[in-house]
Amino acid sequence: MEGDGTQDLKHCDRDDVSHLALDIGGSLIKMVYFSSSSGCSSDDQINGYLKDGFDVSSGTSNHRVLRRKLHFLKFETSKISECIKFISSKHLQYGDQDDKDLDSDKNIVKATGGGAFKFADLFKEKLGIILDKVDEMSCLVAGANFLLKAVNREAFTYMESQKDFVQIDHKDLYPYLLVNVGSGVSMIKVNGDNDFERVSGTSVGGGTFWGLGRLLTKCKSFDELLELSHQGNNRVIDMLVGDIYGGTDYSKVGLTSTTIASSFGKAISENKELDDYRPEDVARSLLRMISNNIGQIAYLNALRFGLKRIFFGGFFIRGHAYTMDTISVAVNFWSKGEAKALFLRHEGFLGALGAFMNYEKNGFTDIGHQFMQQPSANKSSTHSDVQDNGCIECRVEVRD
Amino acid sequence: MDSLREREDHQELNIGIDGNLNIDNLVDDKVKFNFDIEKDSNGTVLGREEQLGDKDMAPMAGNSIHRSSSRPQLDLSGAAIQGNFEEKDPTILLPNQSDDISHLALDIGGSLIKLVYFSRHENHPFNDRRRKIIKARLGIINFNRRSFPILGGRLHFVKFETSKINECLDFIYSKQLHRGGMDSRSWQSEGPNTENTVIKATGGGAYKFADLFKERLGISIEKEDEMNCLVSGANFLLKAIRHEAFTHMEGRKEFVQIDSNDLFPYLLVNIGSGVSIIKVDGDGVFERVSGTNVGGGTYWGLGKLLTKCKSFDELLELSQRGDNRTIDMLVGDIYGGMDYSKIGLSASTIASSFGKTISENKEIEDYRPEDISLSLLRMISYNIGQISYLNALRFGLKRIFFGGFFIRGHAYTMDTISFAVHFWSKGQAQAMFLRHEGFLGALGAFLSYEKHGLDDLMVHQFVERFPMGAPYIGGNVHGPPLGDLNEKISWMEKFVLKGTEITAPVPMLPPGTTGLGGFEVPSSKGDSLRPDASKLNVGVLHLVPSLEVFPLLADPKIYEPNTIDLSDHGELEYWFTVLSEHMSDLVDKAVASEGGTDDAKRRGDAFARAFSAHLARLMEEPAAYGKLGLANLLELREECLREFHFHDAYRSIKQRENEASLAVLPDLLMELDGMNEESRLLTLIEGVLAANIFDWGSRACVDLYHKGTIIEIYRMSRDKMQRPWRVDDFDIFKERMFGSAEKKPHKYKRALLFVDNSGADVVLGMLPLARELLRRGTEVVLVANSLPALNDVTAMELPEIVAEAAKHCDILRGAAEAGGLLVDAMINIQDSPRESSLSVPLMVVENGCGSPCIDLRQVSSELAAAAKDADLVVLEGMGRALHTNFNAKFKCDALKLAMVKNQRLAAKLINGNIYDCVCRFEPAS
Repeated sequence: MEGDGTQDLKHCDRDDVSHLALDIGGSLIKMVYFSSSSGCSSDDQINGYLKDGFDVSSGTSNHRVLRRKLHFLKFETSKISECIKFISSKHLQYGDQDDKDLDSDKNIVKATGGGAFKFADLFKEKLGIILDKVDEMSCLVAGANFLLKAVNREAFTYMESQKDFVQIDHKDLYPYLLVNVGSGVSMIKVNGDNDFERVSGTSVGGGTFWGLGRLLTKCKSFDELLELSHQGNNRVIDMLVGDIYGGTDYSKVGLTSTTIASSFGKAISENKELDDYRPEDVARSLLRMISNNIGQIAYLNALRFGLKRIFFGGFFIRGHAYTMDTISVAVNFWSKGEAKALFLRHEGFLGALGAFMNYEKNGFTDIGHQFMQQPSANKSSTHSDVQDNGCIECRVEVRD
Repeated sequence: MDSLREREDHQELNIGIDGNLNIDNLVDDKVKFNFDIEKDSNGTVLGREEQLGDKDMAPMAGNSIHRSSSRPQLDLSGAAIQGNFEEKDPTILLPNQSDDISHLALDIGGSLIKLVYFSRHENHPFNDRRRKIIKARLGIINFNRRSFPILGGRLHFVKFETSKINECLDFIYSKQLHRGGMDSRSWQSEGPNTENTVIKATGGGAYKFADLFKERLGISIEKEDEMNCLVSGANFLLKAIRHEAFTHMEGRKEFVQIDSNDLFPYLLVNIGSGVSIIKVDGDGVFERVSGTNVGGGTYWGLGKLLTKCKSFDELLELSQRGDNRTIDMLVGDIYGGMDYSKIGLSASTIASSFGKTISENKEIEDYRPEDISLSLLRMISYNIGQISYLNALRFGLKRIFFGGFFIRGHAYTMDTISFAVHFWSKGQAQAMFLRHEGFLGALGAFLSYEKHGLDDLMVHQFVERFPMGAPYIGGNVHGPPLGDLNEKISWMEKFVLKGTEITAPVPMLPPGTTGLGGFEVPSSKGDSLRPDASKLNVGVLHLVPSLEVFPLLADPKIYEPNTIDLSDHGELEYWFTVLSEHMSDLVDKAVASEGGTDDAKRRGDAFARAFSAHLARLMEEPAAYGKLGLANLLELREECLREFHFHDAYRSIKQRENEASLAVLPDLLMELDGMNEESRLLTLIEGVLAANIFDWGSRACVDLYHKGTIIEIYRMSRDKMQRPWRVDDFDIFKERMFGSAEKKPHKYKRALLFVDNSGADVVLGMLPLARELLRRGTEVVLVANSLPALNDVTAMELPEIVAEAAKHCDILRGAAEAGGLLVDAMINIQDSPRESSLSVPLMVVENGCGSPCIDLRQVSSELAAAAKDADLVVLEGMGRALHTNFNAKFKCDALKLAMVKNQRLAAKLINGNIYDCVCRFEPAS
């Protein structure tokens, strides 16, 4: 019956933004906003749908599909003013025009992450918007579920620089382990929509990489640090099994001579100062330490619950090949090939996306829901694809 | 109430107890050959070996462990007189004489080299006639060390930084450790033959440095598998050492008694440079299930880069003053000070280690190294705890033991690991730590020698002792070895003089022939006397194969010797005060006992300092040396005295009192003989209690000595005694002895009388009681200390006292003859125990210890043998009946007799007052 009332919405040429959602983490602010993909869609029109959608809660099922874009942006949390400036310049805070007609006194923006609490006042003061705080874990999970179901070619494995997209059977998605590597790391066992549990986590995450990396290398940004690590050689700093065993393997327990026995362990025995090491090598060593550790803890948790699939998301990864490689190797190593590390293309935006999905609960058009159901209802009627410019173009079915 | 100065508390002397052997007065580790010089008429200098009384030179055919056959005579080459030639008894150094070392094993890790070596101690030539008689009488055959799987000796634990491997090589060389390999070839060869020496080693360095060892010391390294070593080391420790494992939560350390039958499976986490996680299912059955590369090396490596610390310990020390909140991003930082309570994260939970350094425009110099160190430490410890727990979970293991050098007894590290395990397991799993944490591998390598015999040893056969350096070393890496007594004394002097500037002692030239492990520079320059409370100490492990569990204990598993638990801080403080106040008096006596020479004074001072340092250390961390009871504390003092060569501080006092008491004994016996049986028994028990007032450990008692003669005091004390006593089971005991309307009189077959002080206590108190038992046909075994402890009578001294008493009493004479205590009767008995003797025997056995208290889990084998037929145990005196064993239950009847000469104890134990008496009779349980 859903098929009957669907209509295509005309494209808008101009980015006409509406809903905005934020994930304000310890290191980065992730933003997702929705725009019509062309400029022709008028606010009135949208509002019309919205109002209809809102008012007509029962009775006839009347669906229209909006063709729109989901935009993904990030800012450093320490430069939150840039983020505010951006929102202001895009008038994103007025996205929910309908609010004026509703009883809410102000514009409300869904937000998650610790900063949603911390910076609530700032947003109110600078932009006049109220951050509606959405639980972080729920957002992560909702975001991941959305992506895994709605976006083709979202999940992929990465081993030895080989990226392979994995087709996830939606019916066989759950349960899985979601590892969100932000400043810290959360590990969540996801059993279904909105059915999840944070089973573990670690404080050794992206924040550690960047924080320690900054202290050790004087890099100015996370990306710079990542870039450095690319050119580094961790053997200069890490103590390898071979260093301890005089170049031989410790084969009895399956450790080859190049296995890292102790991260940064080589810095112990040499009379070198920090300045004597190349920042590249330090960054590399740090990256390996952290990635490997995350991979290991994630695997151990997957094992605990008998989960075969581990999805890694969050901003630490950033599609960085070496990071993914290390995590994959760790999972592969510890699971003896039984478990696989999977990555998400929108890794950093799970929370923001989840916050965005959350709008439905406030009565806004059931984007998430419809979006996710659509592929199973009628795959041909909806396409969603990730575009290189950091947005997803999608059709959104709106129920009247 | 001069409550202090308990006699019993001073008395303890406990030595390296080896039932058979070993009295080496010496410091334990140093087995040095210290020679007193005697000039004979020709002026020839003779060396008299003081410490190693190896009289048992019989070749031990077929026993490759025994080394006597190959042991060279003293190597006098290079001998030199040390110090001033004008001194009366200069010490001679024998640089080429090796310690009596049997073997050495190494664990050469990435950061530290751990070394375990064994020094054997020959039996004390204490195979006197008494002992032979006793053996015959008790039916002990072949009662010597040959019957034990391993010789008595000591295990020493030493560590070095791998980057300073030369120090380690020097240490081995200076102590000639490389000359005593376990390889049987070297045992039999003429003298040390280093060419053939093979040393077991583990750790990566065993490969890496093999050539170096060959080149520098001429020894071949035989590599042992690392995991294997870790596991066998851990298994050994968990089974053999009573207080090896402990938990550490929120700064509280609690020892955990591990039932060795219920040890497996467990998870062993060894945190070295990296971390190995091993599932252990049994002896030699294990699997390395996981590990992590984020370990001790990471902490130190990163720490070094970030803080410019020069050593691991310095870095660790820094962390103590750190505040990780300046570095770590906490949940509160993200949530604006609020908790993320929905998932159970409090605001102070670390969300991201080092995460705060992201957002601030600070350079590395803007952060305090202390904070960085702490943050790093938390990150790594927590991570290890988490990964360990996840692995324990995988295999359903409840116990996780953490070992390895990263921990180093550091409180914060242990707390963090424990917290992680506790948090993630929701309290289901427990993190436990090992006192010998860093030495698992080395110990395992040591155990891999085929014939070490250690597997057969039981927990009661180990005695751990803490030599003088312990409070200073504090778990740190050792520096150069410290040689002989003089070096130790000078070190103590220098230490106190120079205070904070002290550096490690400079080894003598040529390198000391012996040495205590050596001392590390106190780690913190500022307040070096303040031992780092977070550090653990590992003592020297004495292996005493002849020790046994007292067979009459009702349940050895639940037996706890100490009545007073010093984990109560008030109690601890009280006893520390008592001991401190008593110190100067003790030093005076000790110095006087050695002739009051300048040398004795120096030693006395050094003893006082060393013991004070022990006390200070324990005051800071009561569990530093394992679980601390009063008995341990008292024993420590005696050990410390012995370490500075005070072997019997009360010698002359004991002698004087014995003589005075023996002089009045005949009168007392006559008085007793005039009484009927029942009133005599009461008088005898009163007598034991009354005579127990003579106690050099109690100042209240000492004052009494000046007020009258011994017999007067004794009578006065006895007459003053008002029944009922505070604890008064006399009537039950009497009924047991004499019977009643319903019960028949009971005749004990053999009674063990644990005696206490010399003088009136034993002569006027216990001997008459023994005599009464003998008269009633009960065999009596007097159980006395193996080594002096304050004025306690020793097993060496007793036969003489009995012989003297026997001159005036037929009963005693007959019994003493039958028991082999009288010299002139001995020849007969030696050949065939004279069963035909009319008398039941009176015997003397040593208890295996040198302390005023007694831990019945570790007694001499001859006492254990004597106990086999015993059906009555009499414990007398505060040390053995109150401080320890007050609550002990026995398989046979037990009588506990003591006068309480300490107000606090009286109040606490029996709700009474000083001079109250305890007569507790407990039928067999």
